[in-house]
Amino acid sequence: MITKEMRVSHVLQQYPDTLEIFIKASPHFSKLKNKILRKALAGRVTVEQAAKIGGVDLYNFLFELNKAINQLPDNFEKMMNRPKQEEELGTNKPEFLINAERGKIKELDVRPIIDEGKDPLSTIMNFVKNIADDEIFLLINSFEPLPLYTVLGNKGFEHFTEKVDNTFKVYFYKTGKEHGIKEDKANQIDDTFAINLSGYENVIEINVRELPPPEPMMKVFETLPRVDENTLLLVHHHREPLMLYPKLEERGYRAQSNKIEENYYKVFIVKK
Amino acid sequence: MINTNSIASSYSPPIKIVIKYMGTAVLAFVLLTFLQLLEYETITGHHFQPKILALTHIATLGWITMIIFGALFQLVPVVLEVKLFSEVLAEIQYWIYLIGAAGLVYGFWVFDSKNFIMPSAIVLNAAMLIFAFNMIMTFIRVKKWNITGYYLAAAVFYLIVTAVAGLLLSINLYTPYIKINHLQYLNLHAHIAFVGWVSFVVMGVTYKLIPMFTLSHKYSTKSALGAFVLINTGLLGISTAMHYENTTIFFYFFVILIAVGIFLFLYQVYMIFKNRVRRKLDVGLELSVAAFIFFGISTLTGLITGVGNLSDVRNLSLIYGYLIVFGYLSMLIIGQLHKILPFLRWYHKYSSKAGKENVPMLKDMYSEKVGYSILYLMLSGMAVLTISFILDIQIGVLIAFILFFTASILFMINMITVLRR
Repeated sequence: MITKEMRVSHVLQQYPDTLEIFIKASPHFSKLKNKILRKALAGRVTVEQAAKIGGVDLYNFLFELNKAINQLPDNFEKMMNRPKQEEELGTNKPEFLINAERGKIKELDVRPIIDEGKDPLSTIMNFVKNIADDEIFLLINSFEPLPLYTVLGNKGFEHFTEKVDNTFKVYFYKTGKEHGIKEDKANQIDDTFAINLSGYENVIEINVRELPPPEPMMKVFETLPRVDENTLLLVHHHREPLMLYPKLEERGYRAQSNKIEENYYKVFIVKK
Repeated sequence: MINTNSIASSYSPPIKIVIKYMGTAVLAFVLLTFLQLLEYETITGHHFQPKILALTHIATLGWITMIIFGALFQLVPVVLEVKLFSEVLAEIQYWIYLIGAAGLVYGFWVFDSKNFIMPSAIVLNAAMLIFAFNMIMTFIRVKKWNITGYYLAAAVFYLIVTAVAGLLLSINLYTPYIKINHLQYLNLHAHIAFVGWVSFVVMGVTYKLIPMFTLSHKYSTKSALGAFVLINTGLLGISTAMHYENTTIFFYFFVILIAVGIFLFLYQVYMIFKNRVRRKLDVGLELSVAAFIFFGISTLTGLITGVGNLSDVRNLSLIYGYLIVFGYLSMLIIGQLHKILPFLRWYHKYSSKAGKENVPMLKDMYSEKVGYSILYLMLSGMAVLTISFILDIQIGVLIAFILFFTASILFMINMITVLRR
């Protein structure tokens, strides 16, 4: 059974099929489709944290994950200590939506973008730029775009969601009051990496965590000839290899370390 | 999602200057064991003798402190992720320090305080101040402080205290002005040097190097922090108490604090070794383990000597001194140099070739057999020496010194092997 404490990388390794559930739950998890990003980023995150990052309900998320691997215990609801909530979508439609003029509603259907396997976020954000204060933005999607509530909420949008068959219609509208600006962590991930990991096709992984110095360094050097412009070398290391950096520089490579936890660093090495 | 995330930057340590300091230290060690072999009859006398003072300062200044300078220039950039403030200052310091140390040793040997001891002490103080300045300027740039950093910063402070106390003592030899007993002050000078300066460096560096060499992790570092607080309190306490008369009770209290602190350190080392991933120890690490055990024994001896008021017991202070200088510090340095120097040499010469052509492994850089011979020579030397001191057997002392001298020659040979690879 998949629990909230399990690491995303562990879940994906054991049950590769759940990748779909992740991606369906939030477009932010589409990054997981990229093998390299998956290896680089999913190591430290638990299912619970992932749910938070994706802005999805943990309970439903665990339910879906366990259903997908056919390990949903009968007493799942009891175990989670929470009764299943009734769908509350589509009730209490705000007054102004009922009265809104047709011309004031701007519609964007992101289903084709998602079908292509792309992240619709940038399209959405561009679209939102052209929404005037008295206009309503209608987003149509095949799943409820939970993370977007936070993203657009920060921009002062309230939302109303209704579900018609298997389609979600989300109305975003401005109420005039700004929400506190919270940083959207999910969007920061790519920015913090100077090396754009998604730009590489292949990844070579080596684990040097059990080797005493200078064997980790030797192993890296032995692997370097196989690292070309399209290849990323991912080194699992027990510490940040400070003395390796100048030597890599010398050979025309650059490196970056990502601390996963004490005594575990992921070092990314690419050709300059 | 991301904890810390750093872009690669280079803190490459200055290899040439490091090897200069370390090389000189190895020569000083050979000189030390050779001279004490020649003077073995003098050594069994009282410890406050010119030639013994000369030998002590070859050991502390030429061998131990010289190694520490070299090691710190190498390790500070790696451990604190900062570039050394000035390599030029490190080079200038080397020459000033060498002149000061040689002058002081010669001054003690012929016991000429006016022309040699006092002037040399001034020169040495200048060198120490240059070092302290270089370190402080380096520390200022440190962004991520860790436990090793605290220990090293404290060590630099105690180095200055040691140097100034040494200078005051040297002036006192020339024109006596210190009101309290000269020997009591000497005792303070020695303990600030061995505990505050040398051992703080040893401890701080140990917390970093031993886990690195044994791949140890997932242990608590609370003992390291506890040791830091206790030893500092103890050292500052006895330094204050010693300036007054009738402070025996305070003195005992602070001495016990220091001893407990040292045992906390040793417990921390034990935890590190216990949690190691790499089970097999090589000769460098075995020498280090022996050294840590000697550190424990010498601390117990010191505690018994100090609290039990046994300093008049024949040869006990000599045994205590040898436990520290040879059992603990020399074995640790020999062990750690078998790890650090091969790595430095390998990094400097072979790391650019690795992956392109065949390069030697670290253990191929020196002879492991010679390394183990050094370990056994040092251990048997310590055993023979201690027994000979207790039973007052002069020939035994001579045999022990031959064993130490042989060990020092073998050590030098192994280090030359590393540099020639």
